[in-house]
Amino acid sequence: MSPLTRAGATKYLASRLGTEVVVSNLGQASLDLLAIADRPLNCYTFGAMGQCSSIGLGIAIGRPDVRVICLDGDGSLLMNLGSLCTIATEAPRNYVLMVWDNEVHQTTGGQATATSKRASLVAIARGAGIEKGLEVRTQEELGRAVDRILSEDGPFIVVVKVDKGPSTAPFDQDLIGQATRFRKALAALPAS
Amino acid sequence: MAEQSWAKHVADVLRRNGIRLFATVPDYIVGYVLDELWVDPECRVVTTTREEEAVGLLSGAWLAGKRGALLMQNSGLGNCTNALASLNMASMVPLVLVVSHRGDLGEFNPAQVPMGRAATRILDAIGIRWIRPTSIAELEQQADGLIKLCYVSSQPVAIVLPSELTGGKKG
Repeated sequence: MSPLTRAGATKYLASRLGTEVVVSNLGQASLDLLAIADRPLNCYTFGAMGQCSSIGLGIAIGRPDVRVICLDGDGSLLMNLGSLCTIATEAPRNYVLMVWDNEVHQTTGGQATATSKRASLVAIARGAGIEKGLEVRTQEELGRAVDRILSEDGPFIVVVKVDKGPSTAPFDQDLIGQATRFRKALAALPAS
Repeated sequence: MAEQSWAKHVADVLRRNGIRLFATVPDYIVGYVLDELWVDPECRVVTTTREEEAVGLLSGAWLAGKRGALLMQNSGLGNCTNALASLNMASMVPLVLVVSHRGDLGEFNPAQVPMGRAATRILDAIGIRWIRPTSIAELEQQADGLIKLCYVSSQPVAIVLPSELTGGKKG
């Protein structure tokens, strides 16, 4: 059992945010972010499993002046490992891939993923060419990791080992409204 | 090398509609279009490992205010159908697809034929408007209107490139 929970880590990260964009993965990451720290610069995704890291990469390329933090899941990132190679190749300095790694497919009932066995997402990312990789297991390590991602150039991958357990937050069906609100909020953010 | 002036027309129609960001899993035929874009200092081309990844990337770019086009083979359409449906159609995120049509007239490789037959039916099944110009004149007549429709409707559209236009791949 990990001392960190996804909801607790989400709440802590949100308390540190300014004008960063946060892109959340479908299911658990989006449900928790929406319930705990809803803000216009959150980009929730509820479709296209696996694509959170790629959507965030596109935002980072489109707005190189804004730091982009993706909140992916282990099951979803395992579905799109090629994304790590593209992130490393494009190497946007404003890009952070944070992974809530609870070692299960939570939304579908808690079936084990490969990270519960031998796979290390930080090691895979290093092999893909992302040099800044951190694995976080405690609140102190999370605090130090957030210090770094908010002050240093990326790209970063931060794998946060979190406890298992489904989000209890409600689902918001207005996907078009969420996307529209985010797009307008980012467009309104002055270029820096 | 055969005359490939069609490729410059495709690149030009994309550029004159404000598209400067491109993502691709390369293909022999769209490679001619990529040759135009790679040498253009105003254009950025990102090579992804799989077409689905390119859908995610260009969708993110649009949310950040940038228009994008995905250049791929029709086999790649099969690799990204779910993302196009569950992200772009469900959340109304526009994206221009440029899809070379292998597996149709003049095809030499049997492996290309089933997805060749399926290509436009996959687009129809998920509600994506497409054109399939068989000449440069048809391309010039239809493509600007299609891209305008993409951003007005806030939904993906596809320019399918048949062998009648491109000459196909000979083997």
